Amino acid sequence: MKCEGCLELLEEYLDGELAEREASEIAAHLITCAACSAERATLAVEQEMFSRYDRELEVPALLWEQVAEQTVSPLSKPVSQNGFSALVASWFRVPSFGFSLATAAALIVIALVIGMAYMRTQKPEPNKVLAETPRPITVTSPEPKQVPKGDQAEPGNRDFVANNGSSARRLRPNRHSTIDQSDVLSSDLGYLDVDDQDTAKHIEQTQNLLRSIRNVSVADGDEEIDVSYDKALSRRLLNENIVLRRDAEMKAKFPTKSLLADVEPLLIDIANLPDRARAEDVREIKERVQKTEIVAALMGYQDRGPNNR
Amino acid sequence: MKRLALDELNLEAQPGAFAGTLMNSSRDLVARVCQGDQEAFRLIFDRYSRPVIGFIYDMVSDRDLAEELTQETFVRAYRGIRGMNAETKLSTWLFGIARNVARESLRARVRANRHVDLEDKSVLDLSDNEPVPVERLLSKELNDLICRSLATLDEDKRVVFTLKVFHHCSYEEIADITGFSLAKLKSDLHRARAEMRRRIKPYAGVGYEV
Repeated sequence: MKCEGCLELLEEYLDGELAEREASEIAAHLITCAACSAERATLAVEQEMFSRYDRELEVPALLWEQVAEQTVSPLSKPVSQNGFSALVASWFRVPSFGFSLATAAALIVIALVIGMAYMRTQKPEPNKVLAETPRPITVTSPEPKQVPKGDQAEPGNRDFVANNGSSARRLRPNRHSTIDQSDVLSSDLGYLDVDDQDTAKHIEQTQNLLRSIRNVSVADGDEEIDVSYDKALSRRLLNENIVLRRDAEMKAKFPTKSLLADVEPLLIDIANLPDRARAEDVREIKERVQKTEIVAALMGYQDRGPNNR
Repeated sequence: MKRLALDELNLEAQPGAFAGTLMNSSRDLVARVCQGDQEAFRLIFDRYSRPVIGFIYDMVSDRDLAEELTQETFVRAYRGIRGMNAETKLSTWLFGIARNVARESLRARVRANRHVDLEDKSVLDLSDNEPVPVERLLSKELNDLICRSLATLDEDKRVVFTLKVFHHCSYEEIADITGFSLAKLKSDLHRARAEMRRRIKPYAGVGYEV
């Protein structure tokens, strides 16, 4: 293969999109050609920079509730909506511009009753007669501002704020309160803090992936195995691995760097499998995982303390 | 066809390993939602909301709008999940909806003449600034640089680049999400990479050190 051909296909090669034969040709050329190899390294650094991209974007905790309002019936509503409580809740569900006359009348009557009761409980002081004059409507008017702040934070009272108008982001969610997604298979986990904790988590996930490959039973009759999930996972882990390996190297954590370097070829091979891989290809990777005892090495990393990494 | 899965591991025995949402395959979750299991939809949201909001943010460059559009994406997903093709990957399907939602919003913004002016001088002047070695770039600066560079790509290139580089989708998945032919997709991706490289290179220094 010539350099022109190699450079033309290099991005696809790094994306893991080439057929096996073409990928082998590129790999062979890269071993012998320093210029193309340097180009590959440049692209890898570029990829690393992009993998560090963090939008500093969180999923607001209230976003699910806004989605749930319009989809599944609210799961987190502990307040019963039957009978009298539903009636009371409906009074507080504001702003509702479709106020019925009956509701308005009921409100006024209740306001008057409460106002009267309030007046009777107060002992009139001669010098403060005017000041104590009750204002029944304002006392009981269910304006949203009168819902105590503390209540808004209470899940049990969420209806009072969740149903008071249009559904689109009425409440500015707290950006710092997020759903815990530490175990979510996300392709853009933050890379801001590439530290031991990230490495440990990465190694744990890598270990699980390789263990699943090691434990897969490949029967003689199998022709193809669907590895699409494992392939996608491997791609994500591969990108993480590159970042973490370089980070470990910069911080002179050579055992960690060495371990990550050992893992990388396996991740590349899994990432380069087609979605429906040939059984023999899977078997070959499986045997390499067994032979290199990489799973044990990864387990050993987890067992070591942070100071020995 | 045999499925190579993590089933052979006793994952629950692994401390912290794939706990919670990952114990349910996407296909199972979709089937459960179709049967009226509301909690399954919550799990889908938990699993995919972060990539979806990230993808939408890359498309619209506006945090508040990204939240609104993520909400719209999941509402549409819930309403349409029964019609989802069983062969389609859930992530691909969700990204497809998110892309449509984002595109509609961008077009509405253009119609309302409130779109971000991509010819904004502050964006295009990126490469004229003094180069700074990549090692000294604070992550915030790098994030800003990537974000602004991304905003200069046209919509087709941006969607392809984002899906490939940030979300690690395969070409086949990107084609499913966007409806682009493989040839267009490869061409757009190559050009997007070249444009991004041109904008970032002055900051990274000539010939990135490996």
